[in-house]
Amino acid sequence: MVIPDWMLPVIVFTPFAAAAVALFGGKWLGTRAGWLMVVAALACFSMTLTTMVGSGVVGGHHDVEVKDSGSEARATEVAAPAGGADGARGVEADDAHAPVTFVQEWIPDFDIALRFRADSFGLFFAMVISGIGLLVGFYSTHYIPNDLAKNRVGRYYASLIAFMGAMLGIALSDDLILLFVFWEITSITSFMLIGFWYEQDHARKGAWTALQVTGLGGLAMMAGFIMIGITADTFTISEIVSSPDLLSTIAASPLFGPALLLIFGGAFTKSAQWPFHFWLPNAMVAPTPVSTYLHAATMVKAGVFLVGRMWPIFESSPYWSPLLVTCGLITFSYTAYQAFKETDLKAILARTTLSTLGLVMMIYGLKAYDQDALQILNHAAYKGTLFLVVGIVEHATHTRDLNKLGGLRKQLPVTFWCCVLAALSMAGLPPFFGFVAKESLYASLLDNAFLAEHAALKWPIIGLAVVSNAFIFAVSWKLILGVFCGPRKDAHSPDVSHDAHEHGQHEDGGHGEDDHGHHGESFGLWLPPLVLASVTLIVGLLGATKVVEFLVNGFSSKADAHAHVTLIPSLSHPEPLYLSLATIGLGVLFYFGRRPINAAQRGVDNVLPTMQSLWDVAMHSVTAFATGYSKWWQRGSLRWYITGILMFFVGLTLWTLLGRGGLSIHGAIEQVQFAGVPWYAYGLFALLIWAALTVATSKTRLGAAIAITATGFLVSLVFVIYRSPDIVLTQILIETVSTIFILLILYFMPKFKKERGADFRRFFCVLVSCAVGFTMFAFTLMATSEQFKPKNNLAGDYLNRTLPEGDGANAVNVIIVDFRAIDTTGELIVVVVVGMCIFGLLQARRMKPKEVDA
Amino acid sequence: MTERDHNTTADTPADIPSSHDEKGSPVLCTVAKFAATLTLLVSLIIFYQGHNLPGGGFIGGVLAAAAGAMVLLGWGANSWVARIAWWRVSVVGLLISLTTGVVLMFVSPSGDFMDHITLHWPIHLPTATFFDLGVYLIVIGTLMTVFVELGKEEGR
Repeated sequence: MVIPDWMLPVIVFTPFAAAAVALFGGKWLGTRAGWLMVVAALACFSMTLTTMVGSGVVGGHHDVEVKDSGSEARATEVAAPAGGADGARGVEADDAHAPVTFVQEWIPDFDIALRFRADSFGLFFAMVISGIGLLVGFYSTHYIPNDLAKNRVGRYYASLIAFMGAMLGIALSDDLILLFVFWEITSITSFMLIGFWYEQDHARKGAWTALQVTGLGGLAMMAGFIMIGITADTFTISEIVSSPDLLSTIAASPLFGPALLLIFGGAFTKSAQWPFHFWLPNAMVAPTPVSTYLHAATMVKAGVFLVGRMWPIFESSPYWSPLLVTCGLITFSYTAYQAFKETDLKAILARTTLSTLGLVMMIYGLKAYDQDALQILNHAAYKGTLFLVVGIVEHATHTRDLNKLGGLRKQLPVTFWCCVLAALSMAGLPPFFGFVAKESLYASLLDNAFLAEHAALKWPIIGLAVVSNAFIFAVSWKLILGVFCGPRKDAHSPDVSHDAHEHGQHEDGGHGEDDHGHHGESFGLWLPPLVLASVTLIVGLLGATKVVEFLVNGFSSKADAHAHVTLIPSLSHPEPLYLSLATIGLGVLFYFGRRPINAAQRGVDNVLPTMQSLWDVAMHSVTAFATGYSKWWQRGSLRWYITGILMFFVGLTLWTLLGRGGLSIHGAIEQVQFAGVPWYAYGLFALLIWAALTVATSKTRLGAAIAITATGFLVSLVFVIYRSPDIVLTQILIETVSTIFILLILYFMPKFKKERGADFRRFFCVLVSCAVGFTMFAFTLMATSEQFKPKNNLAGDYLNRTLPEGDGANAVNVIIVDFRAIDTTGELIVVVVVGMCIFGLLQARRMKPKEVDA
Repeated sequence: MTERDHNTTADTPADIPSSHDEKGSPVLCTVAKFAATLTLLVSLIIFYQGHNLPGGGFIGGVLAAAAGAMVLLGWGANSWVARIAWWRVSVVGLLISLTTGVVLMFVSPSGDFMDHITLHWPIHLPTATFFDLGVYLIVIGTLMTVFVELGKEEGR
């Protein structure tokens, strides 16, 4: 089947169209807007699936049977740095299974285009995005309360659907700049969605922190992308990745290291890796469907996805493994440790999510690229389920605190089973997907070429992985047993809660209330988690066959991945199984020892500063600096502003004239001829100087104003002597109008006062005036001198062109309204805007007393 | 300037009409009537001849605003001149200038903003004159806005 190339932009832009409908039709649609998301996601999902099957990018290249030799082949391949790139090229060469590509010119001057490319990794990601989007959209229609303002619901869905489109864009973009654009759209929509309950302080703060961290990271990433673009002379990802020449050019460039660090800045902030991990737990104030979709299943995986896209470019860097392994491992183990301590359900899930993201970053650092799709898919399935389960629990009990929950099994039977399936998968027990993924991970770690090279790191890393997984194992049991078993502890038991509960009050975090007063589970709420939970089970069971292995290897960012995936542990190589058993044993210990361990953890936490507090301090100092600087610079004194502007003008002009042009003021003065100056001109100059001195020494404003006017008219007489009627006319009229202005404003000005420092201030003003006068003097002198003319004879040029090209004899006017009309237009706009500003300000002044009276 | 100088006029209550609301001296009014009309005519001439002789939209506009200032001095804030929404005049001027420039982008051979064409019918007229008309109106509009508003402020 031939897939048309326009399919890709249609996949990406369908959600944006739906988002626009949700936004503008929100008032009319209300909660029905959720169905828009369902329809859009369904459309995208089926189109993605069609593309995947139709173009045959998955599996077409793979040799499933090669397995035993595969692990050895992989070992050698990873050892050679360019091995992965070779694999990627293999797909390119294979025309029968070439990925669908779409190119539409966008900014040709910079070689930026709407380039989409559906390779297997991108399609896999797009399928996860649209598939979970479908479930989350369906869940949302039953979760978002009906009693909210309609346009607010519309805005919610518009953000959520636009987010889906942006994620699909990230997955399918083949252009670095396009990818960046979609990346930033996800940051913005995430900000809007985290801040959905914007009445609450912590929602606003969570949204801000997320936007600050991911926004800064995104900007860093853009800088990195531009560096790559400059070095490779193209922004097309597939072109860079598939060309060994370009790859070696980039690796040899001095920008290689900085670009890597900057792009990691983007990936680490988006995927909330240590030390930027803190925004994700704060983002959990979002409505639960949002947390599920953005902050567990898709958006936070964008950073991982980016690393998956970029590794062929960067893996030869000396920073690659150290950075990824360090940050990934710290995130992986530290957040697993933290998750065990938390009591808020969403906080627990946020931390375990971080943990998995850290794990994927780490395996990228270990160059075990064939693991990525497996771990991402596994995590999306169970974590999506658990978030949705938490949403139902919160819906029913209005709390997420583990200390206040318990015994919900009877009230929420289907939810309970969803939770069991997903949590057991998270714990990594057979026959669930989690077990399969963990076995594969351990096998891959044991067999890792990088760790074989750095033997000292091997067992510490594997040990930490086991301990972290053990923490997650214990957390899984905490979820199942703590929430659903034992006695009921929550205040909102089903029979009393409805009467006690008032609509519209969301203070205890019970956001997801609906109108029906039904506080159990409903079909719309439990169906999506059930689907996802059954995925964990079915995929796990399928692990007994080769299907899963075939699929996840096909989906991986590495073209010829050979991850060993099976449900049935191999008895000839039982080491992964031993590690799994160790994990389970340690996890059981942690679970039973949870009280003393948690107490010890809290004791440690109170001592250490958190990254959040450091970030707050940093942000606070930024605002403090901005405030201080603004207060110092924007001090509200007109004299200060004018001095600043004039001194800038003086500095820039003098620097340009004297510092660079090779012009000399002496040369200009030597050319001045005093012979032709008529005698009365000297008298005029004397009058001018006298008038200027009068301005500076005048005791009253009126006197100063009159002296200024006198100066202006005397200057126009100078132009009379030199026979320049145009300028004389302008000068006289401008002087007249300025005088009217000054007289009008004079009324509002205070008298000159004898205050402390007034003399000094006046002296300073005279100095500034002299500097400006000297600058203009030097400028005029040099611009009219002979040394300037031969190089830049603008005047002569314009004079020659005026009549033929402008059909006017007045050169000045032709320049203004014809040759430089676009400059004049700019000035005109400024004049109009200034006029309207003055009008507005004076109107506002006049309005004030009336408002006070009313 | 936060601190206003308190002289006697500033202290008078707002409901007592100050001298600016009334007609100024009869001499001033009589002179202004003729002088302003004459100035306005001269401003139009200066505007029109600007393409070939000293003048142009800017100077013409300034001169016309000076004529307006004369009327304001004579009749104060109650004259019809003070009641015109002058900022609209400047906006109309801006629209005229922009339209001329953009239309010429499509019409002129080079396709540049405000490239020049001369109309030969019904009168010999360079297209730049339309642009200049916009400049003329903008200058009048903005200056008069400021004069009228500052004048009203003073009258309070």
